[in-house]
Amino acid sequence: MTPFWAVVPFLVYLLLIAVLPLVAAGFWEHNRNKLYVAVAVGAPVIGYLLGEAPDGRALLWDAGREYAAFLSLLGALFIISGGVCLRGTLASSTAVNTAFLAVGAVLASVIGTTGASALLIRPVLRANEHRARSRHVVVFFIFIVANGGGLLTPLGDPPLYLGFLRGVPFTWTLHLVVPWAVVNGALLAAFAALDRMIARREVAPPVDATRRGAPEHGRSALRIDGASNLALLFGVVVTVFVVGTYGRRWLGSAAACSVAQIAAMAALSAVSLATTPTAVHAANRFTLAPILEVAAVFVGVFVTMVPALAFLAERGASLGITRPWQFFWASGALSSVLDNAPTYLTFASLATGVANGAGGALSVHDLGALAVDPVGHPLLVAVSCGSVFMGAITYIGNGPNFMVKAIAEQHHVRMPSFFGFVLWSFAILVPLLGAFALAYFGS
Amino acid sequence: MSILVCLEGSASSASAIACAIDFAQALATPLTGIAIVDEPDIVAATATGIGGASYRKDRDATLLADAHAHAAVWLHDFAARGHAAGLSVRTLELEGRPAEMILAELARHDVAVFGRDVNFRFETQESDRYTRDRILRRAGKPLIVVPPGAAPGASSVIMMYDGSAAAIRALRSFATSGLGHGRKIYVATLDDDGATAFERASQGCELLRREFAVAASPENIVSAAPVVEALLERRAKLGAGLIVLGGYVPSPLARLVWGSVTHGVLALSPVPVFVHY
Repeated sequence: MTPFWAVVPFLVYLLLIAVLPLVAAGFWEHNRNKLYVAVAVGAPVIGYLLGEAPDGRALLWDAGREYAAFLSLLGALFIISGGVCLRGTLASSTAVNTAFLAVGAVLASVIGTTGASALLIRPVLRANEHRARSRHVVVFFIFIVANGGGLLTPLGDPPLYLGFLRGVPFTWTLHLVVPWAVVNGALLAAFAALDRMIARREVAPPVDATRRGAPEHGRSALRIDGASNLALLFGVVVTVFVVGTYGRRWLGSAAACSVAQIAAMAALSAVSLATTPTAVHAANRFTLAPILEVAAVFVGVFVTMVPALAFLAERGASLGITRPWQFFWASGALSSVLDNAPTYLTFASLATGVANGAGGALSVHDLGALAVDPVGHPLLVAVSCGSVFMGAITYIGNGPNFMVKAIAEQHHVRMPSFFGFVLWSFAILVPLLGAFALAYFGS
Repeated sequence: MSILVCLEGSASSASAIACAIDFAQALATPLTGIAIVDEPDIVAATATGIGGASYRKDRDATLLADAHAHAAVWLHDFAARGHAAGLSVRTLELEGRPAEMILAELARHDVAVFGRDVNFRFETQESDRYTRDRILRRAGKPLIVVPPGAAPGASSVIMMYDGSAAAIRALRSFATSGLGHGRKIYVATLDDDGATAFERASQGCELLRREFAVAASPENIVSAAPVVEALLERRAKLGAGLIVLGGYVPSPLARLVWGSVTHGVLALSPVPVFVHY
C-alpha cells in the first residue's frame, strides 16, 4: 500500500503552483526557479519510488515517457498554432460574435483549447475594439473556446490527452458529444442574449481616444497567414490518432509508440518553426516561453503524482466519492483552483479505485479499461466533463485562460480581477453546469 | 500660489485643464501638470496558472509602455496649452500609486485641479473613484473638481455656508487663494427658516469682509427639495460658475447610510467645485 506521506509532495506542489505566482512573483517568473521547485518537491518522491515502492523504477520510467509524450503534443500544438495568424476584422454583431465562439468551440477540439484561443482571440478583440463594453465577449471566449469546446477529442484539452496517454481510446471522448453540445450550446445562447442586451444599451465610447487608442472602424475580410501550418496541425491530429489507435499493433510496445509520437511531434514542430514567416510569429507575439514554463512545471507534476494516483486507486472506494455527480463536482471544483490536467488524472485514479471496490481489477495505468468498465465509464465521463468545463471557473483552471486574459488586456479590454472573473463564473457558468449535472448525472 | 493639475484622458480632465489655465491666468501663477503611471497596479502579483507567467510579463510590459505613452501625450498637450496661454508650465511624469503620488506633489502646491471623472488607474480599472476619494479625504488643501464640459471663466461664485468649521475653513481658503478676485460672490445658507438662513449667510459675508476685505452677498435657501438639489438649483438661478464648499470626512458607513452633501454636489454639479476637506 502506498503511504500517505508519499502523496504529500503532490498536494504541496499543486498548492505551490497556485500560490507562488501571488506571493513570490519575481521568483516564480523564471523557469529555472520553477524547475528547482519541481526538483525539490519531486526528490522525496523519486527517493520513495526508487527505494521503497514496488515497481517504482518502472513507474518512474512510465512517468517520464508520459511526460515526454504529453509535452511533445502540447508543444507541437502550441508551436504550430502559433504560426497561424488570422488577419482581418469582422463586423461586430451578436450574430458574428456568437458564430465566432461556435467555430472556436469546434476548433478547440481539433487543435486544442490553447491553439484555438491563440488563433481566434485577436480577431475577436479586433472586431469588438470599438465597443465601450466588450469584456463579456472575452469572458465567454474563456468559457467556450479556452475550455468547454475542448471536450470532444484528446487533443482538445490537456486532461483528456493525459487520459489518452493512459489508454483511453482516441474516439472515446466522442461519447461526450451530448455534454459538449448542451453546455456549449447553452453558453452560446446565454452569450447571444447578453451581448444583444449590452449592444442595445451601448452608447458611443467616451471621448478619450488618447487614453484607449483610436479604434479601427475599418472592416477587412479575414485571411489566414501561415496557412501551411494548418496542414501541420492536421498532421498532428492524424499522428495522434494513428499512433494512439494502431501504434501498439504496429510498433509493439507503449515505449515504441511514445518514441514514434514524440519524434513525429518534434518533426512537425521543427518544420513549423523553420517555415513560418517571422512576420506571422511577430503578429502573434509568439515565443517559446510559455511552453518552456509548462515543461518546467509539469516535471514536478508527473513525478509527484505517481504515488498520489496509486494511493487513490488503492483507497478510492473508501473515500466516499462514488457517484458520477460527485466526481463531476469534485473534479470540477479542484480543476478550477488547480490545473485541470493533474486533477483529471487524480480523479480518474479515484474512479479506478471505486471500480475496483465494485469488483473490478483495473489499473491506473490503463484508463482504457476504466472507460469501458460498467462502473467506471460514467465516472470517467463525469471526471472528463468536470475537469474540462470547470477549468473555466478561474483564470488558473486551464492554461489558455490567463493567456486570453493577458492578450485581451493588451488590447485594452479591462478584464475582471481574479475574483471578479469567479463572480462571472458563478453567475453564469456554475448555475448552467448545475442544471446540466442534475439532468445528466442525476443525484 | 501654485496650482497642480492632475492629468489623464477623460473629458472632465480636458475641462480641468481649461479651468486651471483660466485660474492661473487670473492669478498670474505657474501651473504644474502631473501624469501618473500606475505601475503598482499594472504589475501587481496575480495568479497566472501554468504557462501564464510569460503572458503576464508581456502584458505588464505592454500596459506600462502604453501608460507611459499616454502620460507623455497628456503632458505634451498640457504644456502646449499652457504655453499658448502665456503661462509658466512645469510637467511631471511619476510612477506609483496615483493617490499617494498626487498627495505628495500637492504638498508642494497650494491647490490641485482635476476632472470629476478622472481614472488614474485606467490601464487596469473601469473607473477610479478610490483615488479621487482618497485625495479628497487626505489632501488637507483645497481641491477644485471639474465636471466634463464645464466652461472656464466663471463670473460669479456661490459659497455654501452653514457656519460649521468645515464651511469656515473652505471660505477662508477660497478667500486666501485669490480665486474670488473680480468675481461676484454669494454666500448661501440653507435652512428650514428663511430668517435663520439669511442671518447665517450674512455672518459668512461678514467674516469675508472682516478677515479678507472681500465683498459678498448673502443668500438664504428655503426648499422642500433634497439639500443637494436645492443648492444646485440656487446656483443655477444665480448663474454661478464655481461652487465653494467645505467637507468633512464621514465614515464609509455613515456615508452609505446618510449620504454626503459634498459628494452629492461633486457628483451632480455642472460647474467646478472648490472643496476643502
